[in-house]
Amino acid sequence: MELKLAPEDEKRIEQSIRQKYTKVASSPEGHFNYPTGRAGLEALAYDAERVEALTDNIVASYCGVGNPFTLMPIRGGEAVLDIGCGAGVDTFIAASMVGPEGKAVGIDIIPEMLERAIQNLHETTFKNVTFQLTSAGNLPFPDESFDMVISNGVFNLIPDKTRALAEALRVLKPSGCLMIADQILTGQLQADTKARIESWFR
Amino acid sequence: MFKQAGFVDIELVADTGFNSSPVTKGALFRATKPVISIVKEKEKVMEDSLSKYKEFFDQTYAEGTLDRKTKHLIALGASLAAGCEA
Repeated sequence: MELKLAPEDEKRIEQSIRQKYTKVASSPEGHFNYPTGRAGLEALAYDAERVEALTDNIVASYCGVGNPFTLMPIRGGEAVLDIGCGAGVDTFIAASMVGPEGKAVGIDIIPEMLERAIQNLHETTFKNVTFQLTSAGNLPFPDESFDMVISNGVFNLIPDKTRALAEALRVLKPSGCLMIADQILTGQLQADTKARIESWFR
Repeated sequence: MFKQAGFVDIELVADTGFNSSPVTKGALFRATKPVISIVKEKEKVMEDSLSKYKEFFDQTYAEGTLDRKTKHLIALGASLAAGCEA
C-alpha cells in the first residue's frame, strides 16, 4: 500500500508543496476547498476564547482541515509538537493550553510558512513557543521528549509516512498521544505511481 | 500504518467536515504510544542480568596466564569431581 518513491519523486513533491504553500503563507484564502482563517476556526469549533486571544492577522493565516484539540485534552506543563505547523495557529493554541510551564514546538519544511509563523509569534506574548525548519522524517529531538504530537492537514502530503510515524512515536513519551487531522482518500487509489504523484494535492 | 509504526489504541474518531476534494474527506485520528508492559520490564531485567553473567563467563575463560583450553579442562575436571550433571 505504501508508495515507494524515488528521491527525485520526493524532491518533485516537495517542490510542488513549496510552490503552493509559498502563496498560502501570504494568505490561505482561495487556495482550499474549505473555509480558512476565522471562518475555518469557527466551523471547526476551536475554543472561542483562545482564538479571541489571537490577533486578526494570526487568525487569518489558519488553513487546517480539522480540530486536533478535540481528540485529547492537553494539560498545563506539557510539551507539544506540531508537525507541519505552517503559520503556527495550532502551535499557539497548544501554547495557550500548556501555559508557561509547558512548551509548544512547531516544525515545517516551508521557510515562507515559518517566516509567517515567526511574524505571527511577534504578535503574541507567548514565551513558550519555538519554530524550526525541519522535516517530519528526521526530527531533531531526543526520544520521549513530547507529551503530545499534533498535526493538521500535513500527513497526506508527506511522501514517507512510515518514517514520519516512526519519528513521531520515537519523540513521544510512553502513553503520549498522536493527534492528527487529515484528508483521507475515499476514492480509488491510482495504481500508476506517476498518476499518484501528479495528483498529490487533492 | 499506525500499528506497524508501533502505536496502540488507534482510532479514527470523527470526520472533520472539511473535504479537500470529491474523493477525499477530513478525518481525525488518535493513536497512543504504549507504555512498556510489566512483562517487557521483566524481560529487560533478565536481559541485563544475563549480559552481566555473560561478561563474567567471558572474562573467566579469556586467554591469560592459562590458555582457554586449559581453563576449560580445569572446569571440566572440577565439575566431574563435584558430580555436576549440568
